[in-house]
Amino acid sequence: MTDEQRLAELRDLFLSAPEVGATRFVAVALSAALVLVVLWLVRGRRLRAEYTPIWMAVAFGIFGLSLNLDVLRVLTRALGAWTTSSTLFFLGQVFLLVICLNYAVRLSRTGVQIKNLAQEVALLRARLDALGDPPRPGAGPDV
Amino acid sequence: MSVEGVILPSTTLLLIPAFNEAEHLPAVLEAVASARLGCEVVVIDDGSSDATAAVAARHGARVIRHPFNLGYGGALQTGYKYGLHGVASIVVQMDADGQHDPTQVPALVEPILRGEADLVIGSRFLGPSSYQMGALKSIGRRFFRALARRFELDVTDPTSGFQAMNRAVLEVYAEDFYPSDYPDVDVLLAAHRHGLRVVERPVRMSAGARASTLHGGLRDFFYVYKMLLSIWATGGRRARRRQGA
Repeated sequence: MTDEQRLAELRDLFLSAPEVGATRFVAVALSAALVLVVLWLVRGRRLRAEYTPIWMAVAFGIFGLSLNLDVLRVLTRALGAWTTSSTLFFLGQVFLLVICLNYAVRLSRTGVQIKNLAQEVALLRARLDALGDPPRPGAGPDV
Repeated sequence: MSVEGVILPSTTLLLIPAFNEAEHLPAVLEAVASARLGCEVVVIDDGSSDATAAVAARHGARVIRHPFNLGYGGALQTGYKYGLHGVASIVVQMDADGQHDPTQVPALVEPILRGEADLVIGSRFLGPSSYQMGALKSIGRRFFRALARRFELDVTDPTSGFQAMNRAVLEVYAEDFYPSDYPDVDVLLAAHRHGLRVVERPVRMSAGARASTLHGGLRDFFYVYKMLLSIWATGGRRARRRQGA
């Protein structure tokens, strides 16, 4: 048997390891906890509903994988990884990269909007000053 | 009003972006008054924590106050938008630290009045000049000048903040691409790529009343990186527009 064959055999051994009940339990608990935390944040108005789909998708993704670990094994084989935990770790990293990029884009857009608003406030205030209106309580922010 | 034979239109606007410049602004505004330019002077107070706005108002300038600090580019763009909302036909910008001489404003405006340019840059490096620039900044200036040349824009002083422009330039500079921090060669290239005519005129400049806080340390590297990216993005955007046209 060549080294290559031995390695392939070892890899098959890793991937055919029996499922551990605790793993499935932790995954289900994690997905349930994520859904509950997201709902709690939305209810407390600390997270807007339009930002929840991605987190719900992650929660249900984890839940789906925990119900059918064979999908994870297929993914692991396709990616060339040795263990399902490596695949999970890799997918987690990809998800973090994508979510960081997503929020950087949103932040850039928000930054431009804030800048434009600040400029509009400054210009409107200058126009008010030019009209000679005395500042009125509640007329706007004190700029 | 006639200065050195050039009559500035009454719709000329002089923009002075200022951030915590209460100390230097009086001398600058007195110099502007002495120059008898006959144009509206607008100081954009970029969220200063000192008495910049009060000092500017006391010297007769119109003051536009940002609710918080946006950066040099953000302050300039507010001034451009102010000019666009009004009837300004020509906008001149100069710094609040005293390095620009307001008596040279007519020389900057002249090419626009003659219909030869849309944007005029006051250059420290055209003609005789005693302006001293540090070695690193000098290398940076040469590098960006060479880069601009590749886009068929030849400017000797791409970082000059002493400029004059007409409304066509204001319309371009009021767009969202305009940076809030350092608008330099990237925005000149944007104007150039919009088909606007960019020319230079020699001006005298002092080193400024205080050391520049814009660059230094890691900021130099960030500046170069950000400028290159900005130039690339501006070029890409224009290319896409041309394809879509």
